[in-house]
Amino acid sequence: MSFMTAERWLGLCAILFALVVLFVWIPNDIDTGAFEKVRRRLTIGDSLGPMVAGCVILIGGLFTMLRPEEGAPTLKRANVIWMLTLLAVIGAAIAVMRFGGPVAADLFADDPYRALRATIPWKYIGYVSGGGLLVYLLIGVSTASWHPRYLALGLTAALVMALLYDLPFEDLLLPPNGDV
Amino acid sequence: MDIWDHVVLGIQAVFLGTEAFNLLGLPISITLVMVLAGFVLGIVVGATPGLAGPMAMAIALPVLISVFGFSDDAFLPVLGFLIGVMKGATVGGAVPAILFNTPGTPDAYMTTLDGFPMAQKGQTKKALKVAHFASASGDTFSDIVLILCAPFLAVLVESYLDLPEKTGLLLLSLAFISAVIGRSVGKGLISMGLGLLAAMVANGEDFYPRLTLGAPSLAEGFPIAAAVLGVLIIGEVFRSLEDLARDGTSSVSAKSGGQGQSDRLTGAEIWRMMPFIGRSAAIGTAIGALPGIGSTLAATLGYTSGKARHARTKAPDAPAFGEGANEGIAATEAANSSVSGANLIPVLSLGIPGNAAAVFLILAMDSIGGFNPGPSVFRLSGDDVNTEMVLAFGLFTTMFLANGLNWTLGGMFMRGVGIMARVPKHILLPIVFLMTLTAIYVQETSLTAVWITVGFGILGYIMRKIRMSPLPFVIAFILSAKLEDTARQAFAATGADPFFLFKSPIALAFLVMTVGVILYSLRKPQT
Repeated sequence: MSFMTAERWLGLCAILFALVVLFVWIPNDIDTGAFEKVRRRLTIGDSLGPMVAGCVILIGGLFTMLRPEEGAPTLKRANVIWMLTLLAVIGAAIAVMRFGGPVAADLFADDPYRALRATIPWKYIGYVSGGGLLVYLLIGVSTASWHPRYLALGLTAALVMALLYDLPFEDLLLPPNGDV
Repeated sequence: MDIWDHVVLGIQAVFLGTEAFNLLGLPISITLVMVLAGFVLGIVVGATPGLAGPMAMAIALPVLISVFGFSDDAFLPVLGFLIGVMKGATVGGAVPAILFNTPGTPDAYMTTLDGFPMAQKGQTKKALKVAHFASASGDTFSDIVLILCAPFLAVLVESYLDLPEKTGLLLLSLAFISAVIGRSVGKGLISMGLGLLAAMVANGEDFYPRLTLGAPSLAEGFPIAAAVLGVLIIGEVFRSLEDLARDGTSSVSAKSGGQGQSDRLTGAEIWRMMPFIGRSAAIGTAIGALPGIGSTLAATLGYTSGKARHARTKAPDAPAFGEGANEGIAATEAANSSVSGANLIPVLSLGIPGNAAAVFLILAMDSIGGFNPGPSVFRLSGDDVNTEMVLAFGLFTTMFLANGLNWTLGGMFMRGVGIMARVPKHILLPIVFLMTLTAIYVQETSLTAVWITVGFGILGYIMRKIRMSPLPFVIAFILSAKLEDTARQAFAATGADPFFLFKSPIALAFLVMTVGVILYSLRKPQT
């Protein structure tokens, strides 16, 4: 068996990440050092905390390299594909959520979406369509079944959630109405 | 004002707080209603495989804050609800374990070993009664220990620990959590280091927001709810959905029960269970009081310890553990339920969360404000009322209230929620995911926060896939600012002495223990 097991690679990655944090990120992205003088008094600067965090990761990486856990599961290609699939699904659903309302307003209303976003039904269009799509796509990728009843279920669940959040609480904004 | 005055005020705050409605001329406070609502929701959530108490707490928190706001009046209703969920979920987890051989929560796994065989023998009701009795007993024991220990420990901490010692204690707690969770201390430390680092983004004292890589969207740092919910809830949803995609949907079905055995729980049987309940309650309480060790380990240890005793003492014709023994259910349920009270000992006396449920209690306290868990909570200040102490005793009252509900109504609710085990996971998990993202959005009002949550969800998923516990990450994220502030104050208070941790014997002892716990954990087998 090769010396560089997946656990040792994990340890090595942690060590490299910690070194980048300690010697590249902290010096370039924090203005004060580990200690600094403020009005002739020595105080702890903003760098010390992240340096401690970096050292903890470094020590963890060293321990993982030196004492790897035998039989530990590793990240496989299928897991990476699964993550990318989820990101694509979530990205598509959030895009529909973000732009569903404005596109509908462009097509069917005289006013821009921003002027309509607090009114029914406009304020629900993005959330219900995007949220429903999210539920549908997640059910689809986890069961490989794309039955339309799941889409209806997703849209219903999103509508119920929209009403649950929106009807009792006047000051809550459903997605994406705080961003448009 | 002495401590008893604060106790009375705390009880009054619960029972005579804002009135929700009037029942036959008797005012019912909103806190009572919220504890009941939380308890019922907790049982339902616990009885639903794939959901867990912390998930419900996470999703409910932003809604509760929106309803009750950020005043002192919000504290007891919100915390009462969350405590109700926490306690209810532990009881509810036993229901599908007994009825369908599917634990509702991970800590109910051992309950399946004897609960399901009893259900197959036609003793379903009896098994549920045993689980309920043991769970309520363990919970009560744990709450009593909490009330006796937390103030005492807090006063002790306040008397003997100054800023350098508190810094040392925080370091020791973080090291302990990293070392004891999971099989690899190295991965525990990586998880903790990442949590510390993520929490430090954009929150320094300098004008320039540190570690933001110049990204304006990070100028406010990572929202705490996004990080915690992402790693704990979304990561788990991603992993569970992948399991479904790989293994197919599993429909849970009840097996038909057999006939011929009594379904009644007799006084003599309860008497025989008591040593098992007592021992498991002590184990669960001890484990709950230590940060980072969860109820699943408590249940495993309680069951294992009970099994050894049962093998020595059981009658020849009595079923052994694993064959449908009352004592097996009792040992497990008493252990996992007794964690819930004791895990508030480090929360209230030190401000250190010990498990995922405690994380959300601290988040609620942080969000509402006016209550800083830690030694100052139990400080007496002459004739003045310490509001924090009143709230703490109010909190204890809500725990006993939830406990009373458990004794009186818990059994009835347990028998009613068996149907939740039939809710299919492939429908439930996407809805939980949407609910979590919505909860984040209504709190942060920004799609950036939603993406940050998804990003932390990916991190939580990867951690689970490589068997790296996400709990050190979450607890380090929460304690990071406290650790840095305490260290800054200790440094200033000791006249800028860079060796302030080595000058005090107690702080030095904590440091030595920090190194010791890491080195000792390195010795445990890595297989």
